[in-house]
Amino acid sequence: MPLHSFEFILFLSLVFILYWSLFKNSARAQNTLLTAASLFFYGWADWRFLSLLVFSVLFNFYTGKAIRRSATKTRQYLLYLGLAVNIGILFYFKYFHFFYGSFLRFFNGYEPDARYGALNIILPLGISFFTFQAIGYLVDLYKEEMEPAPGLLSFATYMTYFPKMTAGPIERAENFLPRIAVRREFNRTRTVDGLRQILWGSFTKLVIANNCATFTTPVFDNYDHLSGSTLLLGAFFYLFQVYCDFSGYSNIAIGISKLFGIDLMRNFAAPFFSTNIRDYWKKWHISLSSWMMHYVFTPISFTLRRYHKTGLILSIIITFLVIGLWHGANWTFILFGLLHGLYFIPLILASKPISRTTSGQNPASAPAKKAHPGPSPRQGLQMLGLFILVMLTLIVFGADSVSQAIHYIGRLFSPSLFSKPSFPVEQGIGGTKTLLTILFILALMTVEWIQKNKNHEMQIDDIKHPALRIGIYYTLILAILLFGSVVHIYFMYAQF
Amino acid sequence: MERKEIIEKIRIILVTVLKHDEFEMREDLTAAAVAGWDSLSHMMIVTEIENEFNIRFKLKELNKLENLHSLIDLVQSKL
Repeated sequence: MPLHSFEFILFLSLVFILYWSLFKNSARAQNTLLTAASLFFYGWADWRFLSLLVFSVLFNFYTGKAIRRSATKTRQYLLYLGLAVNIGILFYFKYFHFFYGSFLRFFNGYEPDARYGALNIILPLGISFFTFQAIGYLVDLYKEEMEPAPGLLSFATYMTYFPKMTAGPIERAENFLPRIAVRREFNRTRTVDGLRQILWGSFTKLVIANNCATFTTPVFDNYDHLSGSTLLLGAFFYLFQVYCDFSGYSNIAIGISKLFGIDLMRNFAAPFFSTNIRDYWKKWHISLSSWMMHYVFTPISFTLRRYHKTGLILSIIITFLVIGLWHGANWTFILFGLLHGLYFIPLILASKPISRTTSGQNPASAPAKKAHPGPSPRQGLQMLGLFILVMLTLIVFGADSVSQAIHYIGRLFSPSLFSKPSFPVEQGIGGTKTLLTILFILALMTVEWIQKNKNHEMQIDDIKHPALRIGIYYTLILAILLFGSVVHIYFMYAQF
Repeated sequence: MERKEIIEKIRIILVTVLKHDEFEMREDLTAAAVAGWDSLSHMMIVTEIENEFNIRFKLKELNKLENLHSLIDLVQSKL
């Protein structure tokens, strides 16, 4: 059930009406409806794996309970069991092919596709997302950082909640459970805010990401015949395609959740205005990076802390290798993670002053700065430099193999970089669609800059004039109707 | 060591690691509210505090820290 389908809109409307009418009287009733709807949503997408999801819910709920009740040694064994089962399931579905194939290739020297292709393991929807939530839950209980879920129903709601089920945000139980412990009351302002966020997410996905895709798909398919300038444009569009696809999805998911009175954590916060890689990862896929920093980086760096900067570098590289591998079983994702980890090294070695442009400034220590209409020239250069570095890693991310990525980047930096780019036929005569997409990207960046201190790009409740707000809605809807493309209706991150 | 002395030593570490010009030690201050105090700088701060006071933390203890107040308490309990 893609989010932009008639079935989903019908499903969502029905759940919304039931939630605020028949089921509105208690938190229990609300959670029951949300869980039932979520299981239906999951079953609709792939009924074969519904039992896997139900197993995961039951297993983790009872293991979590047992961890909390047991004495030290047993607790540890139970945690290991919990981790082994969760990682084992994820490994079987997501990584078995890859390691089995790499193993055969390495030791036997033959191309394994034909042989292991017969295994043909299909990836269950949202498995990386719900598995990581479950792992975090068990670790938190083990470390006594939280109380177990008060009951199976609330835990099931946490694990299956359909707005975040397929592609996050990866919520920590500690934050999510208290929000569903109380009865949600209908709030018109929040509902309208959610709808605005859905509209913005739909715009970035359908208009920007999908138009970028009509450029990048043929470019990645025929990269070995194209000029450096075309490949540069392809890489530029691919970065925005991934960003607008995933941040678009996140905005829609967070917006949908607001319709049910439940706030989800922010997943993107204008990452391209970061001036260094550290800031960037605080604004890009925030729910994953903060999860990884908490559960992977902190314990490793704590163990390695006596090695000072070497320990920190090693910990950050391991963390980013895991982040890369989280995306899927391919050397391209591992290289993607490795590159991002390596980008941190100069920061750690130099321990440069930390940027204070991030949100959450410390009022006690940060001196007030004069409002600046745009970034300073120095900041602008830093942003551009970081943008290029990230864009290069996205080529690796999007390529089918590491060798394809290397060839792509090699061709990009050839003398043909200074020639006129060619446009794929899908882009219209003379690349009119390309120019239009660039204009939309410029509009996106402008809105993000203006709204950078807000919770999301379409938080416009401070615009008091209704005509102006309505004008914004119509502009976005018109852009979707006229320029939106539904060729790529599915979201990229739903496959991770 | 007196609490006041501990606070001053921690303040100097925070100012150095976080590269802040000044740092007002409000005990209710949380890491999330301080610009630049992320997982990376947290580990740097922890290592510096351990070296400064010649103490060793446990990861479990660090996970339970809520704000500067509990950090100062933890350091004091180890001296």
